[in-house]
Amino acid sequence: MMIRRSLLVVLALLLLTAVAGVQAQDAVGITIRCKASPPEEDWRCNSFAEVEEQVEAALGIAIDLNLIQDNAGWADYKQEFVLASEAGVAPDIILSGHEDIGAWATAGLIIPLDDMIGMHAEFEDIVPTLWDSHKLGDTIYGIPQDAEARPVFYSKLLLGDLGWSDEDIESLPDRVIAGEFTFADMIATAQEAIDEGVVDEGNGFWHRPSNGPDFLYYYYGNGGAVLDDMGGLVVDGAALLATYELLGGLTESGVMRSDLIGVDWNEVWHPTVAQADTVLFVAGGTWNWPNWAINYVADQGGDAYLFENIGLTLIPAMGTGSAITLTHPLTYMISSGSDNPDVALALIAAITTPEHNNKHAIDSFHLGILNAQLESEAYANNRLLSSAHYMLDHTTALPNHPGWNAWSNAYFVGIQAVETGEVTPEGAVDIAIAQMTNELGDGITVR
Amino acid sequence: MTAYGFMAPAGLLVLLFFFLPVLIVLYLSLTNLASANFTSNLAEMEFIGLRNFQTLLNDQFAKKIFFNTIFYVLSTLALFNVTAALIVSLLTAHINRRAGFIFRALWILPRITTSTVYILIWRRMMAEAPFGIINQVNTALGWPTWNYGSENPWVFVILVNGFIGISFGMIIFTSAIESIPKDLMNASLVDGSSYLQRIRHVTLPLLRWPLLFVVTYQSLSLLTSFEQILLLTDGGPGLYRTEVWALTAFHRALSNYFGNTQWGYGSAFAVVLVIIGVVLAVVYMRVFRFDELVAEPRIEVL
Repeated sequence: MMIRRSLLVVLALLLLTAVAGVQAQDAVGITIRCKASPPEEDWRCNSFAEVEEQVEAALGIAIDLNLIQDNAGWADYKQEFVLASEAGVAPDIILSGHEDIGAWATAGLIIPLDDMIGMHAEFEDIVPTLWDSHKLGDTIYGIPQDAEARPVFYSKLLLGDLGWSDEDIESLPDRVIAGEFTFADMIATAQEAIDEGVVDEGNGFWHRPSNGPDFLYYYYGNGGAVLDDMGGLVVDGAALLATYELLGGLTESGVMRSDLIGVDWNEVWHPTVAQADTVLFVAGGTWNWPNWAINYVADQGGDAYLFENIGLTLIPAMGTGSAITLTHPLTYMISSGSDNPDVALALIAAITTPEHNNKHAIDSFHLGILNAQLESEAYANNRLLSSAHYMLDHTTALPNHPGWNAWSNAYFVGIQAVETGEVTPEGAVDIAIAQMTNELGDGITVR
Repeated sequence: MTAYGFMAPAGLLVLLFFFLPVLIVLYLSLTNLASANFTSNLAEMEFIGLRNFQTLLNDQFAKKIFFNTIFYVLSTLALFNVTAALIVSLLTAHINRRAGFIFRALWILPRITTSTVYILIWRRMMAEAPFGIINQVNTALGWPTWNYGSENPWVFVILVNGFIGISFGMIIFTSAIESIPKDLMNASLVDGSSYLQRIRHVTLPLLRWPLLFVVTYQSLSLLTSFEQILLLTDGGPGLYRTEVWALTAFHRALSNYFGNTQWGYGSAFAVVLVIIGVVLAVVYMRVFRFDELVAEPRIEVL
């Protein structure tokens, strides 16, 4: 009897082990790589864990989800994916800037999604204009994860010190949209603040201290284009000159410090601008807000402090006469090395819902990507999101082109040259165009 | 055959870790390899001849970056890797032995500290007011504050690298000083020499070979170093103010904010560096007569 019972126990254990083995063998492994600033952007990858069981049930499979999320620098992060792809160990899903579609689709590192998107109704609700920045040619290679706006943050505190009434301050975004308060007006206001001693010289206006998408809106705002109608790279000399005159003028007049590019983000830039008591106008991104609230002004009241002292508006009109911003959607792309692209896309579809994307939008102050999300109570009632969502109507985006990095590097070199006063705006144009033509050869048209 | 047999392990290492990488980089520099057409299969890469080198020659900032590199190598080498290292060695060799050991151990700290931690310390020190430690001291003393990062980036680039570089020369020089036969020093003392006279007439002449070795090794090492500059200034501020050649090769081939790095073009920068390094090595060996250093002694010591 004893032996028989023991045998039964052994058999049961063997059966359990076998079942577990079969399950482990059948589980579909999906690795997802995300870059996120913790904690406010953690939903980028963490959302997948919330829908894992739902997708397992829907597809009738077991999923072995491997989420890799950190806040690595963009350059390293992107290089990692290229090298991992070549080594055959790329993640199934990579979250990155939409501009990577240009190089990665060309290299065959990511797969086209047009034929698969129709299988998931969730994607039908994505704001239509967002798809434009997820294509190379007419082919879709990515699913939007978020959108944002890159506004000008203005210090209510300092504008008040300058003598602006509450009504003047609160109406600023509307006046910017109407074209009544232009970029030139903003510079004049900043100059006045310096002259009046409200801010120190160099602190009238700050942009970001390192290369990034923001800089392109100065060029767009002055009528420039990066792609022609055929999708080829172009550079407009006149728009480039207007841009360099604008940015060079900011440092030459002392409205902006000439050594701003190179200033440390975390040690100087964020701690300075988050206080709203040093710099009058700051060109930043919506996601800066929660970062400031959590990391820089938490002991002063966080969100409440920021709402009291900082407002946000579109980038005031430059040469084109229209206020502008730039959105840089992050996009989920599926690696061509993925063995299970259908499962990967099903997971992306499962988190492309108002419920999941609202968590990310609200926590990180990124704008929504779904029509239903914009109408949802959580999104509509969020003071921050409702104060910025209209900016998507005025937005521009980076191009998706394999030559974009060479173009943008040369463009940024011109900005560095003119802001430090090493060359005139005309000289900066010559520098940028010479570098573009040297590196892109026939791949760029100068007009 | 015995000699070749003994040399084989070292020769294999040199072949694997120097000649082979040089050949690969040379080949990459003749292709248009980039993230947009990336492959690790050499046969699949598109051969474009010398076009990358033509682009490099036409690069309007290549000259500036080249002279930045010369300035960086010479300044760091002259001020710290040789001179300061020699001074530290001489001073610590002529004080109490235990105290000398402690001082030398302190000077090794910059070399053994993790680069990122080491640079974070420097960045915090040199940050602008009110954030930087040096500026906080300036403020406390009523002195003016400075934005060291933008006003004097080279001073800090050279200091940061020099503090690391001192330890190498210091160890070589100290061991050389310690191995000077005592009878030479005693004879000098009998002749009534002072400390300075002993250093000038006994120690320094006997440090010729260690000095030449440190100059050779450290100048070649500095030529290819960029890690600290990458972390401290990333070649800025402004327009390539502290960008050195090796850092440009890294930026072009491996690191770009918007991705799509140019492996082939970056390799062309690296090839130029290899050529300069090899030429310098040959020149050093000829000028400093290294064959004499490794020659068999004329006096046989039993």
